[in-house]
Amino acid sequence: MSEKPATNIFSKKPSRQALFETCVSTFFRLATYLVIIAAGYLFVNIAYNGSKAVFTTKAPFINIDFLTQKPQTLHVYEPKEVTTEQQKINAEILSTKAKRNALGSGEKAQRAEYEAHIESLEERYDILDEQRVEGRLMFSDSEYRQLDETPSEELFKYSNYAYSGGGIGPAIIGTCLLVTGSIAIALTLGVLCAVYLSEYSQPGKMLQLIRLSIMNLSGVPSIVFGLFGFGMFVLFFGWGVSMIAGWFTLAIMALPIIITASEESMRAIPKGFREGSLALGASKWTSIRTNVLPYALPGILTSSIMGIARVAGETAPIMFTAAFALRDQLPWEGLKEPTDFFFQGVMALPYHIYVVSAKIPQNEYTRNMQYGAAFVFLFIVGFFALSSIILRVKIRKKYKW
Amino acid sequence: MAQTSTPSDMTDENKPIIEIRNFDFAYGDAQALFDINMDIREKEVTSFIGPSGCGKSTFLRCFNRMNDLIDIANIKGGEIKISDINIYDKEVDVIELRKHVGMVFQKSNPFPKSIYDNIAYGLRIQGIKQKSVLDGVVEECLRGAALWDEVKDRLNESALGMSGGQQQRLCIARALAVKPKILLMDEPCSALDPIATAKVEELIHQLKKQYTIIIVTHSMQQAARVSDKTAFFYLGKLIEFGKTDDIFMNPTDPQTEAYISGRFG
Amino acid sequence: MNRYFHHELHDLRSMLILIAEKANEAGRLAVEGFLSSDLEKTQHAVKLDDEIDALEIAIDRASVRYITLRSPVSSDVRLIFVAIKASHDLERAGDEAHSIAKRTRNILTRDGSVQNKVEIEAMSKLAFGMMKDAINCFLEEDLDLAESIIEQDKEVDRLNKENFKNLSMALRDGGIDPATQIETILISKSIERIADHAKNLAEEVIYLLTGE
Ligand SMILES: Nc1ncnc2c1ncn2[C@@H]1O[C@H](COP(=O)(O)OP(=O)(O)O)[C@@H](O)[C@H]1O
Ligand SMILES: [Mg+2]
Repeated sequence: MSEKPATNIFSKKPSRQALFETCVSTFFRLATYLVIIAAGYLFVNIAYNGSKAVFTTKAPFINIDFLTQKPQTLHVYEPKEVTTEQQKINAEILSTKAKRNALGSGEKAQRAEYEAHIESLEERYDILDEQRVEGRLMFSDSEYRQLDETPSEELFKYSNYAYSGGGIGPAIIGTCLLVTGSIAIALTLGVLCAVYLSEYSQPGKMLQLIRLSIMNLSGVPSIVFGLFGFGMFVLFFGWGVSMIAGWFTLAIMALPIIITASEESMRAIPKGFREGSLALGASKWTSIRTNVLPYALPGILTSSIMGIARVAGETAPIMFTAAFALRDQLPWEGLKEPTDFFFQGVMALPYHIYVVSAKIPQNEYTRNMQYGAAFVFLFIVGFFALSSIILRVKIRKKYKW
Repeated sequence: MAQTSTPSDMTDENKPIIEIRNFDFAYGDAQALFDINMDIREKEVTSFIGPSGCGKSTFLRCFNRMNDLIDIANIKGGEIKISDINIYDKEVDVIELRKHVGMVFQKSNPFPKSIYDNIAYGLRIQGIKQKSVLDGVVEECLRGAALWDEVKDRLNESALGMSGGQQQRLCIARALAVKPKILLMDEPCSALDPIATAKVEELIHQLKKQYTIIIVTHSMQQAARVSDKTAFFYLGKLIEFGKTDDIFMNPTDPQTEAYISGRFG
Repeated sequence: MNRYFHHELHDLRSMLILIAEKANEAGRLAVEGFLSSDLEKTQHAVKLDDEIDALEIAIDRASVRYITLRSPVSSDVRLIFVAIKASHDLERAGDEAHSIAKRTRNILTRDGSVQNKVEIEAMSKLAFGMMKDAINCFLEEDLDLAESIIEQDKEVDRLNKENFKNLSMALRDGGIDPATQIETILISKSIERIADHAKNLAEEVIYLLTGE
C-alpha cells in the first residue's frame, strides 16, 4: 500500500453534482415559499378586510352589532349630482379611448393629446368618487324604518342590497349549532363503526370492500352529499329544511374522515394492551373500553374535529338541507314544542357568505359583509380546531406510553 | 434416565394439574403442533425450549386460549385438561379460564396508568371497587412480586416510569391479582438486562411455592436455572420432556443433545 | 445479589470439608491402629473409606450438575474444579488409609503386635498435621498456611527415606518376618502419599484463591 499524502479526505470538491444539488434545493425552497405566500395573502386579505367590519375604533373596539344583529337589507343613498357627473365623465373617457384606438400609427401628436385628456378625466373622476363616499348615506333596515323621512329622491340616487346590512348573529349561532350537532352525531356513529371495523369484523374480502367504499365516500363532491341529504332527510324522512337534516348530512360527509382516523388511532394502540387485559379475564368489550378507546381518544378527537371543521365549511351540503338565507328568529325563539328546535332551518355562515356574494361578488356595498362574515367564520373554524388540539394535549398527557 | 411423559410415569408424583393428550393445532392449513402429550404437575416450573418458530408460544397460548383471538387458529385434535376439565369444551367460560391461568408476555405491557391502577385492573373489571379491598390486593401482589419496597412510595405514578425489569415484575404482580393457579410466561426476560433477569428468575423461584408456572424461554441457561421440568420442542413436535437435570445432563434424544449443546442445524 | 441456587455451592463446600475430615480421620485411625496394635481402629478406618468413596461420587455429581445447570463463572468455576480435584485427592488419601489399615491387620494377624514402629509416629503426626492445615486453609482461605504446607512435605519425604533405609537394613539383618518389614515400608509409603495429597490440596487451595 502506498502512503497517501496527508490531505483531508473529506474536503469539498466543487463539481457539477454540487451545483445541481444547490439548484434542486433552491427549487424546492421556492415552491414552498410560493405556497406560504399564497396562504399568507389569503389570511392577511381576509383579516384586513374583515377586521373593518368586525372591529371599530371606539371602545369596546369590537363591533357588537355586527356580531349579534340579524342580517338586514342595506339601503344606500348617493348624491345624485355627483353620480350623474361621474357617469358623464365615464362616458367621455370611453369615447376618447375609442377615438384614440381608431388612430393610425403615424399620428403621434394626436395620440398624446388624447391620452392627456383621458388622464385628466380620470383624475376628476377620482375626486368625484371621494365626494360620493363622503356624501353617501347608508342605512340598515332597522335604521331605515326609523327615518322620519327618506332622503329626497331629487338629491339622492337610491339603491338597496339584500342581506348586506346589519349583522351575522344568527349565522354565527346557526353555524355553531350545526357544527356541534354534527360532531356529536359523526363522532358517535364514526367511533362505533370504527370499533366494529378494527376490533370485531373478520378480516377478508368483505372488510376490504367496506373500507374501500368508506374511502371512496370521502371523494364524493359535497354537492352530491347536499342532494343526498335533501332527498333522504328533507324529503324522504320529511324533516324539511331543518337543523337535524343538516346535522346528519354534515355528519355523513365527515364520517369517512372520522372512521379512517379512528381506525388508525385504534390500530396504533399496541397489541400488548389488548392481550394484557384479555389475559386478566377481561371480556372483549371491557378490554376495548378500558384499554383501547381511552388511549385512542386523543387521536380520534383531533382528527375528527379537524374533519368536522373542514366539513362545516362546506356550503353545498347545507344549502338544501339546513340553511336559510334569512331567518328573523333565533333558533330558540318561537318554538311551539321543544322538539321543534331540531326541525327548524337555521342561518349558517358559509351559506350566508354565498348568498351575499352570489350576485355581485365585488360590490362595494356587500364587501364589508362578505369579508366580515368570512373573517368570523375563519375564527370559528380555527376555534374548533384549536380546542381539539388542546383536548388532545390534555388527554395525551394523562395517557402516555 | 430421561423421562418422557406417559401416564405410567405418574406413579410417584402428585397428580398432574394440566394434562395434554394428542394435541394437534394449526394456523389455517399450516399445522403448528403435532400430537403433543404432556403432564404438567402442580407447583412445578416447567420450561419450554426449542429453536425459534417451533411452536412454544403457540402451545403456551393454548393453555389460556389466547389463540382464540387468531381467526385462523384451530384445534385439530386432542385435548388440554386443566384440573380435569377440557378447556376447549363448549361449557368453558374463557374469561373464567383466563382468571385461572394468568399470562405474562414477552414484551412487558404495563398499561399506561398508575402502578396502583395496573394491579387493580384485574379486580376492577370484575366489578370490585372497594378501596380497602383493592389496597390490600395491591400491596399483597406487589409484595408477592418482590416489588413492594421499590415502589411503595410511588404507587400513583405512571407504571411507564419504571425500569424494564420492574415493568415486567409489575406485569407478574398484575397477573397475580386475579388469583390464578397457573402462570404462563412467554420469554419474560428476553428484553431484560442480566440483573433484571436474575430478579425475575428469583421471583419465579419464590412463586413456585404457590403457583404452577410454565415458562417459554430462548435461554437454555434460564431453563436450566429456573425449571424443574424441561420440554424440548422442534418443528411443532415435543421431542423430549423430563426432569431438567436429565434433559441437560443426559438427554435421551440426539436432537435434544444437539440443541442444548449448540450443535444444532 | 445472592441467587437461590448459590446455596448449592455452599452445600458443595460443606461436602468437601466433610470428605476431608473423613479422609483425615480414616488415615489417623489406621495409623493409630498400627501404633497401638488396635484392630478395631483399623476396621473403623476401612468403614470410613467406603463413606469417602460415596461422598466423592456425590461431590462429582453435584459439581457436574452445577456446571451444566447454573453456568458458573470465575471463582465459582474454580471452586467446582477444586472440589472435583480435591475430592479425588481425598478419596485417594482415603484409599491410602484403607491400605494402611489392611497392612496393619496383616501384621497384627501375623505377629500379634507391631514391633518395629520406626519413624511412623513422627511422620504421621506431620502428615495429618498437613492434612488438618490443608482443611483449615481451605476453610479460612489462608494463603500463607497453604504455602507452608508445601514446605512441610519435604520433611515427610525425608522421614520416609529414613524409614526405608532403616527397614531395608533390618530386612538384611533378619530377625523380624520380612513380610512385616515390607508391609511397614509400604505403610510408610502410604503416609508419604497422604502427605502428598495434602500438598496437592494446598496447591488447589492456592489455585482457588489466586486463580494461578
Ligand atoms: N398468528 C399466526 N398466524 C399464522 N401462523 C403463525 C402465527 N403465529 C405463529 N405462527 C406460526 O406458527 C409457528 C410457531 O410459532 P411460535 O409459536 O410463535 O414459535 P416460537 O414461540 O417457538 O418461536 C411458526 O412457524 C409461525 O410462523
Ligand atoms: Mg415465541
